[in-house]
Amino acid sequence: MSKILLVDDDAELSSMLEQILTKEGFQLTLAADGEIGLERALSGSFDLILLDVMLPGIDGFQLLQRLRQQSRNTPVLMLTARGDDEDRVAGLELGADDYLPKPFYPKELVARVKALLRRTPNTSVRPEKSEYAGFTVDPAQNEARCDNHVLDLTPTEFDILRTLVRGNGEVVSKDQLSVAALGRSLAPFDRSLDVHISNIRKKLPNEPERIQTVRGRGYRILKLA
Amino acid sequence: MRWYNSLSIRLLLLFWVLLFAVASSGYLLALWFSKPVVPQPVPSEVQSSLAPILSEVETFRSLTPGRLVAGDYRVAASLAPSGTERLQFDRNISANFRELMMRQLDADQPQQFPMGSRMLMGPFALQDYRILVTRPLTVDEQQEQATNEQQTQRVQTLSLLVGSFAIAILLGVWLIQPLRRLTLATREIAKGSEQPNLQRLPKRNDELGELARALKTTAYDLAVSRDAQRRLLSDVSHELRSPLARMQVALMLSADEDDSQARDNHMNQLGRDLERLSTIIERILSLSRLENGLVKLQAEPVDVRQLVEQLVSDLNYTDAKQGARLQVHDSDAWPNTESDPELLRLIIENFVRNALQYTDDAIEISCQQDQTRYTIIIRDHGPGVPPEQLSQLFTPFYRADPSRNHKAGVGLGMALSMRTAAVLGGTVEARNHPDGGLEITVTLPLQVVSKA
Repeated sequence: MSKILLVDDDAELSSMLEQILTKEGFQLTLAADGEIGLERALSGSFDLILLDVMLPGIDGFQLLQRLRQQSRNTPVLMLTARGDDEDRVAGLELGADDYLPKPFYPKELVARVKALLRRTPNTSVRPEKSEYAGFTVDPAQNEARCDNHVLDLTPTEFDILRTLVRGNGEVVSKDQLSVAALGRSLAPFDRSLDVHISNIRKKLPNEPERIQTVRGRGYRILKLA
Repeated sequence: MRWYNSLSIRLLLLFWVLLFAVASSGYLLALWFSKPVVPQPVPSEVQSSLAPILSEVETFRSLTPGRLVAGDYRVAASLAPSGTERLQFDRNISANFRELMMRQLDADQPQQFPMGSRMLMGPFALQDYRILVTRPLTVDEQQEQATNEQQTQRVQTLSLLVGSFAIAILLGVWLIQPLRRLTLATREIAKGSEQPNLQRLPKRNDELGELARALKTTAYDLAVSRDAQRRLLSDVSHELRSPLARMQVALMLSADEDDSQARDNHMNQLGRDLERLSTIIERILSLSRLENGLVKLQAEPVDVRQLVEQLVSDLNYTDAKQGARLQVHDSDAWPNTESDPELLRLIIENFVRNALQYTDDAIEISCQQDQTRYTIIIRDHGPGVPPEQLSQLFTPFYRADPSRNHKAGVGLGMALSMRTAAVLGGTVEARNHPDGGLEITVTLPLQVVSKA
């Protein structure tokens, strides 16, 4: 049974979401403010964290940042009620795996939660190691390397990189990547995949452009000359 | 700004000085380069050819100005030792040359030099009589003079060109450069810059400096209000989405629910959120009406004491337990004033309701009055507000209680009251009472009730 931490100060919404997700077979822990949320996220072992942005104490972004600083790569799904796109993407840049703007349909939330849980390492379908152009991705060890330099990736980034490496230098479409890493197709104007790619590039030891953008088609890994 | 710092005065002076400088330098350079007119001795052949005519006393005396002496030689001026018309000039010669000729009449030796289009010669003397003669310039002499003039003109033109170019550069550096900088800065502001690059312009003492300073403050004010608006929009969207999110979830839950008790709970939740949404929307609209000056005042005589008592009894009616906490202080300070009772009540009601919501003890409402103003004070006995948060109390959607307790208001009441007080010409302040509790003071202008 997957364990989920829900950090949201909206008590009524939290209790309703708890009902829904419990019915779907998840085990829920609630936290009503940022401090408690961070404490629980760091102490317990959760398979997924649902994180609201506006929180008393420390807000969702700060919580996420501190979580990632401690190298906790638990998948995080941001729930945000704020309007602008920048706000939504900001979470991804700090290492969230996906986001869902409020208000949302409960079914959509359940689908996203399931998609994110589906691809955690222990349920991976093909655990064999793949290599291409200096990149090594080993799902069994849960380890990704670039030129023998270990990369500290979130699960989503790990899956994106793995899918790219398995492409052997061929272009992998954004939709393919999104399905593989986020378990869903991309919505129009959805920039989450691009943000994840840019996060991976920032973590590469050199030559961030070796993950090449092929405009209008997708991404591919370049062989260095 | 002092008068000598004024750009118009400076421009006037600058143009004046520079134009004067260019003109005079042109003139001086022309003088410098043009060949000075040097008197030459009269050639001896002219002297000898004129000698026979000028040696006869009778003839000499009869040589009045204007008369032909010989050939092209014509008398220009004559000086007699006495008589009513001692000094006479040829009337055909410009009066401008008279001084020159008078001086030449006194010269020791006969000399010649060009004077206008003629060659002046003299003086020739016999006894006490003296005359000057002129002849037309020869072709060569005319040519020489023309060349001379041409050269002078060239020098003048050249110095004007150089001088005006210098002016242009000076103006460019001094006037056009700042203007270009201002244009660039304005473009930066249009793109949303908070601190446009104005270099050292704001330090100038003239109008351009003033403009730069105005631009600088405008950019800052714009940025501040843009940030405030963005924050408000973000807050509004957050406040509207949160109940919507709950409603969407509650709706789904109630549809799947078989238990009627649980379904009723969800329906209640839906009802509360719906009410909350409409409150938020209504208040946001009032706030924007107030801010855009769309609220019309309905001024009438108001007994403020009575208005507050009425409010207390209304609150008492809805919730007697809560209402019992309200104490209206008895004093003579409660005024009769000209005001809008609806708006006045709205201001006080919001503060009173806030106090009821956030504290559990007594709430005192009192009044003070001076010549021009009266102040209504609403004081609670709760924990107060941390000093650094006092100023934020009136920010839309700010809530003193950080845990989002949904029984609390929507976070617009204080902002609304402050704007309303401003519409009535008053101010609102919040401070912590020295003996504990939050104290809200509403200060409004006292307007004497006209006894009509």
